[in-house]
Amino acid sequence: MALDESAESLGLRPGTGIADARAMHPQIEILEADPDADRRLLESLADWCDRFTPLVGLDGRDGLFLDISGCAHLFGGEDAMLDEIVHRLSGQGFDVRAGLASTPGVAWAAARYFEGSNRNVPAGAEEERLSPLPLSALRIDGKTRTNLESVGLRHVGALLCAPRAPLSRRFGRMLLTQLDQALGTVEEVTSPRLPVAPLSVERRLAESIGTIEGIEQLILLLARSLKDDLERRGEGARRLQLSLFRVDGVVRRIPVGTARPMRDPQAIARLFHERLTALENSLDPGYGFDLLRLSVIVARPFSTSQADFSGQSAREEEGLSLLTDRIRARLGSSAILSPALAESHVPERRARFRPLCDDVPGKPAKTVPSHGAPPTSPRPIRLLEKPEPVEASAEVPEGPPLSFRWRRALYRVARAEGPERIASEWWLEDTPAPERDYFRIEDVEGRRYWLYREGRYGDATAPRWFLHGIFP
Amino acid sequence: MARFAMAQEKIYALRREIARIEGRQPERFAAPTENGGETVLRHDGRAEGLHVPTFTETGTPHFDAALGGGLQQAALTEIVGRESRDGGIVSGFALALAAMASRNGRDEEQRPRPVLWVGMADMLLETGFPYAPGVEQFFDLAPDRLLMTCARRLEDALWVAEEAAQSGGLSAVFLEIRGNPARLDLTATRRLHHRAREAGRPVFLIRHSAEPEPTAAPTRLVISPAPSSPRETLAGALSRSIGPPAFSVALARSRIGRNENFLLEWNPHDFTFRERVSIRDRPVQENARTSGPQDPRGLVPASSVRSGSAAQAWGGLAPQRRKRRAG
Repeated sequence: MALDESAESLGLRPGTGIADARAMHPQIEILEADPDADRRLLESLADWCDRFTPLVGLDGRDGLFLDISGCAHLFGGEDAMLDEIVHRLSGQGFDVRAGLASTPGVAWAAARYFEGSNRNVPAGAEEERLSPLPLSALRIDGKTRTNLESVGLRHVGALLCAPRAPLSRRFGRMLLTQLDQALGTVEEVTSPRLPVAPLSVERRLAESIGTIEGIEQLILLLARSLKDDLERRGEGARRLQLSLFRVDGVVRRIPVGTARPMRDPQAIARLFHERLTALENSLDPGYGFDLLRLSVIVARPFSTSQADFSGQSAREEEGLSLLTDRIRARLGSSAILSPALAESHVPERRARFRPLCDDVPGKPAKTVPSHGAPPTSPRPIRLLEKPEPVEASAEVPEGPPLSFRWRRALYRVARAEGPERIASEWWLEDTPAPERDYFRIEDVEGRRYWLYREGRYGDATAPRWFLHGIFP
Repeated sequence: MARFAMAQEKIYALRREIARIEGRQPERFAAPTENGGETVLRHDGRAEGLHVPTFTETGTPHFDAALGGGLQQAALTEIVGRESRDGGIVSGFALALAAMASRNGRDEEQRPRPVLWVGMADMLLETGFPYAPGVEQFFDLAPDRLLMTCARRLEDALWVAEEAAQSGGLSAVFLEIRGNPARLDLTATRRLHHRAREAGRPVFLIRHSAEPEPTAAPTRLVISPAPSSPRETLAGALSRSIGPPAFSVALARSRIGRNENFLLEWNPHDFTFRERVSIRDRPVQENARTSGPQDPRGLVPASSVRSGSAAQAWGGLAPQRRKRRAG
């Protein structure tokens, strides 16, 4: 149960029953707790805090840890940074308390118990500042706290003076670990919510931008500064992410994948151009973005191999991978398909289109090496997704059809080859499909099709005819 | 008189300019000479020193001559089918042209480049996806060289085709659409043609159930089905068997302005076309053979009358060829 400021001013306290509260103040509004929504809000807030440091961790239901090691100078010092964070969050309508210290534990306490300039606890002063605080300033559970208070340890200072061995024996090792972590004798690590990119560049804008063109220009600038770092590391980007921080706190992340390690700023900018064009309507810049960050999520060694003298084949391959990258960026990661061959007699199983794997095109996914001889009877060049039923009449049972009706048009068969019997693969299917007799037929005008008959004449159920493929 | 000459001069200059913009040679009405000229590929303004033949010979001198020296390598070629059920024949013809072009354009030791097939989703559902084993059998296009993009909107398909056309890494690009959409107008096709010309790779625009309309493609071929000839065996033609794919090709637009009809047969073994006999002077027996009463089982060996008619058809072509070579 939680209360807002106006409820508190009415004299309500956490723990009051709803019926009692209603009786006292009939005008109050009661909202059911929605932990999921709270969580989502906290996560979006954590996203927003990404602008200060890439290391943002969630703390319980209502807290965030920001590891600002090495970031404070970007905001004009620790105090200035603290002020800015508090100011910006208050501007968004949050009631926020912040603390800053060299350990997460002290920062946690500082956020809850210190005001004004005290909020920043300098390194070395942890013990001194923490001592007068009540035990609730340590992140220990309620039961341990009550037990400690019952033996007269009411302040952190008292706890620090107490001999360690009996404390550990009586209240468990966790208590001492918490204490040590708060004082910095034991390192505590906050777990960041998002993986930290190995490389990222960002640009803060005094004036927010909302146009695609503006964003693209900035991407080019960012990609240029990224290039030097990538070159120094001898790497290229395989996965990039653009983070757009909207003025009102919404963060948009746009990932882009590449088929081979890449560091050319122009190429990176073009990839994002395609992605942004595809997103155009859903981007929703609102009041504009005031921070852009370009991060390399996955980097791989950049091979600078020498090709033949003309450099032609290498350039062609590069051109192809750029093309596939751009198509994927614009139309989705599964936009390019390549046939995957399987060892099967059933035509639809033999070759299927699969999204081209993340590799260099031209060398698609591992295909099963074919062992037997390739089929010598002709195969169609186009195969229908699903065999389409046709009404066919055959003159002799088991023979090719004389005529058939497909998609409401009648075809008179002039010539036919077959049958080629393709049995079902019972080892793959639960209920084996009936075997098929395939015929290659040509109608009187010269269209060539691949038909098959399922079942036989004389069986209990009449045989059915299907059209499955089209020949040139 | 002087003014008239000035005006003539101006007209010629303008024509030359237009020809330059369109990338063709002005005022050409005859087939080009032996090797048909060469294109120099440029990359970042530097000539690559790579010479790609401008024309691909289709294997039939008659058809090549009508095309103006063969299939133009670096150009948009439009292949039209009147009905959507002719999908197999139309796409087969495009694949055949691409197969010839890709064999022509590369050195032997070089790894063959892939092709990109850009299809509209609805079209692919109707005529089916390209089937890799069949494509390999008929057109020697290995499955790992077949890339496909299935677009939902025509804008996307056009965008992909344009991007692919200007990328040097592909040996051919197919754009397959249905009907006569308004978006695929003169401007859109001109862009495609221009990019194909810059990259030196063919782009094939496959249009199913479409009416011919003005586009920027220098060559337009209307493909309709044609009965195939029976399989040839040592004992003669095998009755009721289905031989190599045959296409009835109407040259609706060509660079040199010749409109003709051809009956072409694709040879899936040496990957060339051959002309069976042109539709105009096809013997009457040929028609009688396909529509006459048929033996349902197709087990009767070829009769002497039929094989005679086939020999006649081929024989009729031979002197014609000889004559051309002499002249």
